[in-house]
Amino acid sequence: MNVEKLRNDFPVLQKDVVYFDNACMSLKPVQVISAMQSYYENYTACGGRSMHQFSKKVDEEVAKARQTIKKFINAKSDNEIVFTKNTTEAINLIAHSLDWKQGDVVLTSDKEHNSNLVPWQQLKKQGIMHQAIQSNKDNTFNIENLKKVLTKKVKLIAIQQTSNLDGANFPIEEIAKLAHDNGTLILVDAAQSVPHMAVDVKKLDVDFLAFSGHKMLGPTGTGVLYGKYHLLENLNPFVTGGETVVETTYESAEFEKPPHKFEAGLQNYAGIIGLNAAIKYLMPIREEIHEHEVQLNKIISEGLKDKVTIIGPEDPKQRGGIVSFYTKMDSHEIALMLDQQNILIRSGAHCVHSWFNAHNLQGSARASVYFYNTKEEAKVFVEKTQKILALK
Amino acid sequence: MICILALVVFGILGIFSVSYRAIAKEAFDCVFRRITLRKCTTGLDKRLKSQITGKLMKRSPKTAKFVYTYFEAISWFFTILLIASLAYSAYGAYNYVMFGNCNGQQGGFCVYDVFAGNKTEYSTCAPVAAAGDLIKPEVTNHSFFGPENAELEIIEFGCYTCEYTRKAQPAVEKILETYQGKVKFYFLDFPIPAHEKSKELAIAAECAGQQGKYWSYYARLFRLETPVADEQLYQLAEQQGLNVDAFRQCYLDRETESIVDEDIALGKYAGIYGTPTFFIGNHTHVGPLSYKDFKKIVENELNS
Repeated sequence: MNVEKLRNDFPVLQKDVVYFDNACMSLKPVQVISAMQSYYENYTACGGRSMHQFSKKVDEEVAKARQTIKKFINAKSDNEIVFTKNTTEAINLIAHSLDWKQGDVVLTSDKEHNSNLVPWQQLKKQGIMHQAIQSNKDNTFNIENLKKVLTKKVKLIAIQQTSNLDGANFPIEEIAKLAHDNGTLILVDAAQSVPHMAVDVKKLDVDFLAFSGHKMLGPTGTGVLYGKYHLLENLNPFVTGGETVVETTYESAEFEKPPHKFEAGLQNYAGIIGLNAAIKYLMPIREEIHEHEVQLNKIISEGLKDKVTIIGPEDPKQRGGIVSFYTKMDSHEIALMLDQQNILIRSGAHCVHSWFNAHNLQGSARASVYFYNTKEEAKVFVEKTQKILALK
Repeated sequence: MICILALVVFGILGIFSVSYRAIAKEAFDCVFRRITLRKCTTGLDKRLKSQITGKLMKRSPKTAKFVYTYFEAISWFFTILLIASLAYSAYGAYNYVMFGNCNGQQGGFCVYDVFAGNKTEYSTCAPVAAAGDLIKPEVTNHSFFGPENAELEIIEFGCYTCEYTRKAQPAVEKILETYQGKVKFYFLDFPIPAHEKSKELAIAAECAGQQGKYWSYYARLFRLETPVADEQLYQLAEQQGLNVDAFRQCYLDRETESIVDEDIALGKYAGIYGTPTFFIGNHTHVGPLSYKDFKKIVENELNS
């Protein structure tokens, strides 16, 4: 992977800026921007409705995107790929569409993003209970704790593959096996994993998997829900309306088969086309991304470990591209001062308020790298952060 | 404390741009909470502190550390300064409304003198000290513009190179035009020593006066951009139909310097400390006047 060459594809990187907020939003290469621009310039039209050439072209491009994603995550069929707005919507789709029974239990880890926590909490009104599995002291997943709470009442394990809090990975394959042995479904929040590593849904044997386009070079407002086809077939419709139905009468509606059953209304065609371009861009390099990020993580962790507390496992290899840390200085102060020096990071609770509240912490500063970041940038980040920390 | 500053600054900016309104609202919320003895929870103070410190770090890490450490004290200092400035500005505005001058009844300029040179007795066209009582000079034998028996007498002490005198000139000319026949106008030279050629221009105008063209030359002289070259003075003399050789001779030999010196002596007697100074009937005013204000004073004096 030639990082310097790849950086030329990103217009934003031609500016004097160090972008270390990739866990929130990735930058976009010209290939993605051009693909979307082409839609708007050459064939802006509705898909799946009109019969004209523009509409046909849109249908072709959307079908291609579905095919690309199928290959990308090694799904069995294109029909297992549902386009959503983002990971949050994909998770909500499952939360609202599964056939719940009173007393069912949903398990999550104790450091889930709000998007994989709040939807389950909301089910309490229907008599569905949510329970968080306590992590190890180093914030890694404790499989024994899962076994303790994995009863027959657990209908679903909804769990992230990579934590946006600390970058730690979860043993998804092992969790999926335990789940299935128990007759439990597993939904994986892969928002932080799919952009950074090869994810194979067949190998992992997960039932559902959700991820966002905007964290993997794609446009905002794009996301994907993967689901085993027979499971998707049994889900209730989520958002209904145009495109989700084959036929309607004044009294009833006959719903489409998946994935269209879940894709209500006019779709984000430009976004889907951009996402296709993003995934094509990532395919040839994705095997090398994780290792590159670990290299940068090592530089940052080594440079800061004496002055800050890094959240998560000590070994940078286990934290991928994320270094989340706190110190006596307010995390927002650190981020704002870095911003003044053109270094962009995230600060606060990173939508994992529950974890910070449980640990009585205000928040953390989070540097999250991607394949286009360099060792030099990591060193500059360390140097500037050290100077900021010396203020207090 | 920084929130009070932010409220004022972003409140004003917010009038013109929507992007500052959210910050102004945050600042208001923060100030309101502090007034009601609650903690400011918006984080605005922290953000401003971090952004200011971050900017300073690029230039001077030591200053950044100082500001970061003593930010609250610095905020207090600037807040007090702001309140004092606002109070002073309000006082000035009150004076302006009540007396037509932001310094109140004693007169003087409202603006900082950017033309200040060495501060001798009358070194600048802006005031260098608090005004003493000005004495209206006796100008019986001085040349004037307008009818002998005019209802109102206006005396101006001015300098051709003083920005304030030049600024006042359009209003003066318009007043003389508006009140033609009613006003008798005296222009007394009060050249500023710190200004290059200020006295020479006064001498040149008086030389034009020797040939009976004082008032037309005087008016044209104010329209020339400073600094004025001798050659321009000669050209102006030619344009005014003067005998240029005689004018040049008068100017180079400083034949009219004694007339200018007499004006200066009158000015010193009157206690002039800056130009322009106007004696409009019984009203005295230091500094340029807008036509509107000038007219108001003239009307008052004519009606009194």
